[in-house]
Amino acid sequence: MLVPLAGGWNPLLGRLALDQIPYNNPILAPLFVVVALGALALIALITYYHKWGYLWKEWLTTVDHKKLGVMYIIIGLVMLFRGFVDGLMIRTQQVWANGPDSSGVFGAVHGYLTPFHFGQVYSAHGLIMILLAATPLLVGFMNIIVPIQVGARDMAYPYLNALGLWITAAGAALIMASLFIGDFSHNGWFGYAPLFEIQYSPGVGVDYWIWTLELLALGTSLGGINIIATIVKMRAPGMSWFKLPIFTWASLSANIIALTSFPALQLALALVASDRYLGSHFFTAGLGGNLMLYTNLFWIWGHPEVYFVILPAFGMMSEIFPVFSEKPLFGYITMVAASFAIAGVSWLVWLHHFFTMGAGPEVNSFFSIATMLVGIPTGVKVFNWAFTMYRGRLTFSAAMLWAIGALFLLLVGGLTGMMLAIPAINYMVHNSVFVVAHFHSMLLVIVYAVFGSVIFWFPKVFGFKLDEYWAKVMFWLFSAGTVGVFVPMYMLGFMGETRRLDYVFNTAWHPYLVAEEIGIFLYCLSVVAFFVLLYVSIRDRVKNQVGQDAWGTSRSLEWLTHSPVPFYNFAVIPHINERDEVAWRRQHGLVQKQPEKYLDIHMPNNTGMALYIGALTFVLAFALTWRIWWLCLGSLVAIIALMIVRSFQGDAGYIIPAAEVERMEKEALAREARIQTGAHPLPAGGRPVPGEAIAYERQDKL
Amino acid sequence: MSQGHDNPIHHPEVQMSSSRGYFTGFLISLGLMFLATFLVASGSMPPFGLLMVITICAAITVIAQIYFLLHLDISEHNIWNTVSLVLFIPLFIITIGLTWWMFSQLYLRTMPMMPGMGMH
Ligand code: HEM
Ligand SMILES: [Cu+2]
Repeated sequence: MLVPLAGGWNPLLGRLALDQIPYNNPILAPLFVVVALGALALIALITYYHKWGYLWKEWLTTVDHKKLGVMYIIIGLVMLFRGFVDGLMIRTQQVWANGPDSSGVFGAVHGYLTPFHFGQVYSAHGLIMILLAATPLLVGFMNIIVPIQVGARDMAYPYLNALGLWITAAGAALIMASLFIGDFSHNGWFGYAPLFEIQYSPGVGVDYWIWTLELLALGTSLGGINIIATIVKMRAPGMSWFKLPIFTWASLSANIIALTSFPALQLALALVASDRYLGSHFFTAGLGGNLMLYTNLFWIWGHPEVYFVILPAFGMMSEIFPVFSEKPLFGYITMVAASFAIAGVSWLVWLHHFFTMGAGPEVNSFFSIATMLVGIPTGVKVFNWAFTMYRGRLTFSAAMLWAIGALFLLLVGGLTGMMLAIPAINYMVHNSVFVVAHFHSMLLVIVYAVFGSVIFWFPKVFGFKLDEYWAKVMFWLFSAGTVGVFVPMYMLGFMGETRRLDYVFNTAWHPYLVAEEIGIFLYCLSVVAFFVLLYVSIRDRVKNQVGQDAWGTSRSLEWLTHSPVPFYNFAVIPHINERDEVAWRRQHGLVQKQPEKYLDIHMPNNTGMALYIGALTFVLAFALTWRIWWLCLGSLVAIIALMIVRSFQGDAGYIIPAAEVERMEKEALAREARIQTGAHPLPAGGRPVPGEAIAYERQDKL
Repeated sequence: MSQGHDNPIHHPEVQMSSSRGYFTGFLISLGLMFLATFLVASGSMPPFGLLMVITICAAITVIAQIYFLLHLDISEHNIWNTVSLVLFIPLFIITIGLTWWMFSQLYLRTMPMMPGMGMH
């Protein structure tokens, strides 16, 4: 072996051995039984209803950006749930293991988790929430909405899109595998050098952490390339840059950050892997290594990453506010400029995560000021949203409530961030739960924006609305939970509670910990409300059907096509006249205008290749984790071979004949006519159009 | 548009690729990497000179890979690639420059001066 390993290794199974399966762990073993039974039940159900063919044809091999987006969102929601359970476990441990007199069970002296297990729980929680919940949820929405908003039929690279999804899924599978085979890293989500070196963390946990992150970085970069290319190259005729819908702008800025910053993470982790696998010394103190170099490299990616996840959320809020204020977005140009300013400045601030390294007053002042500069464009955005609502005709629908909630959280998180940006304060509260409360406020902005968007865009994708009543119940329970958990957490931060404690020594903090536990209980109720919401909405789906313009006041291009969106998005690509195209067409009575004739549509074919390669990346990462060298080599060769095969196959795509398009459009229009979107009847004639408006390109020219 | 995308083989940037180019790029990178490894392992140079030489090796590798493997040049059909490359240059300056600055400040405070490292 290249580096000495604790425990056995054999050529066939690497480090894998029976004693790595935690079958006698009182928490994991029952969980495994539940998961296995659930999986069996699912497989049985699919077989019983003969759905395998459907699943394979319509979902597993699809390259349709909407279906891939839906699958991204499902992965995101499932992982959000797993991360939430981790959070619940952390909160419960802390309120239980408080003070020397607290009891202990399951081998723990205090509480119910041993320190080693507790470390794994918080590490998995952080990694999952940022990279496997927030990121896939946002990538999913960008996948679904961006191509429709720019008037494209699919992404620029549909196959690459599928590949990105399946690699992300492989990452999710890998971290789930670490639950039942071996263990996960206990180094926190960002990793501490040199604790993650093989001498100090001899198990496979850190290896799971490395390869999960590498897979997710790869998948997200592929998605980023795709979204950028789609926005740059595939806009509908007439859509000049300043007619681009605001969510698309936000996606563009976010993905530029992703594409430029993820390589820093991949490099940092490759060096960690080199230390652990090859015995190099990049991040040890010996032989010329430098521990802080790791922290530096990680946050070069880490800070841009947090803006990669917040910018699309800002874009979502910018779509929701105007629709429910019945006004165009205030300050569109400044909004775009602010997005790019935030993206740019996000590259200049990463040292604020390690002010306490002690690089000296000049360096700390520079990064402190740069960090505070972010507040300016963020402030611009907040005021723009406020002015959008000012004197608007506000409807407090569930989606709007989530967006307003996000706005308040942004204020809390932003202002506490400003406090943290002052080195003098930072030295006091660094690594306290005050920091934890800060970034949870920020990440909750994303969660709020995402739930708002689920409600907002659900009817576009599925053709019926979610139930407003239960969506609001969920919102209020969730918000009560947010207050319950994070207000006490800010207070405990000021009192000096450090983060990641598996045992809380100070009994004076007990009331606050209890308050946090009550908060997390309210979150649990909101999860229940979410399931009720899904159940009630699907039960009443016929009653809640909607047509193309689900909210009656919507503005951007995605609302021009039918709901649910046909797989070809637009029968004929519309011509773009205005920034808020649908609002403009509604005003001029053009919404119902149909193209005079239909043409053939060229679409990409399904392929199982992305799924195979995704599965093989899982095998590769798993084999690397357990150091099963023959399997690494085999899966790597197979991946390369499949890529070569695919590149020779190419994809000529297929043609939907014009007559077929016409038939499907007639059906969709008939559905539309049946539903009659009630509240806002369309103006019969509309105001005359100044100049000459084009709804669709002249078709003899195409 | 209904006739779909042009044949990708006819794109000029795809035309730039040839197995000869790929092999040249691969061999240049491999050679320079071996050279750098050898220089470091043999320890036959003073640290500062070594640093300079391997930095130059790295720079040549980067350029060779950009040209031979990624097929980037400054011609018309590569205009988007050129634009994005130019836009990335500030990021390199920022990340490498600021890292250099913060670590030199850190070392001033935490490290004993190493002989031969040329830190005035
Ligand atoms: C107004 C803008 C912001 C400012 C001024 C700011 C400032 C800071 C500072 C100074 C820290 C370091 C605290 C410490 O460890 O001592 C920090 C940590 C953090 N911030 Fe922010 N922040 C801002 C926005 C955001 C956003 C938008 C997000 C993500 C959506 C975010 C997520 C985080 C995370 C995840 C951490 C801590 C990571 C960790 O230590 O585990 N922040 N922030
Ligand atoms: Cu930061």
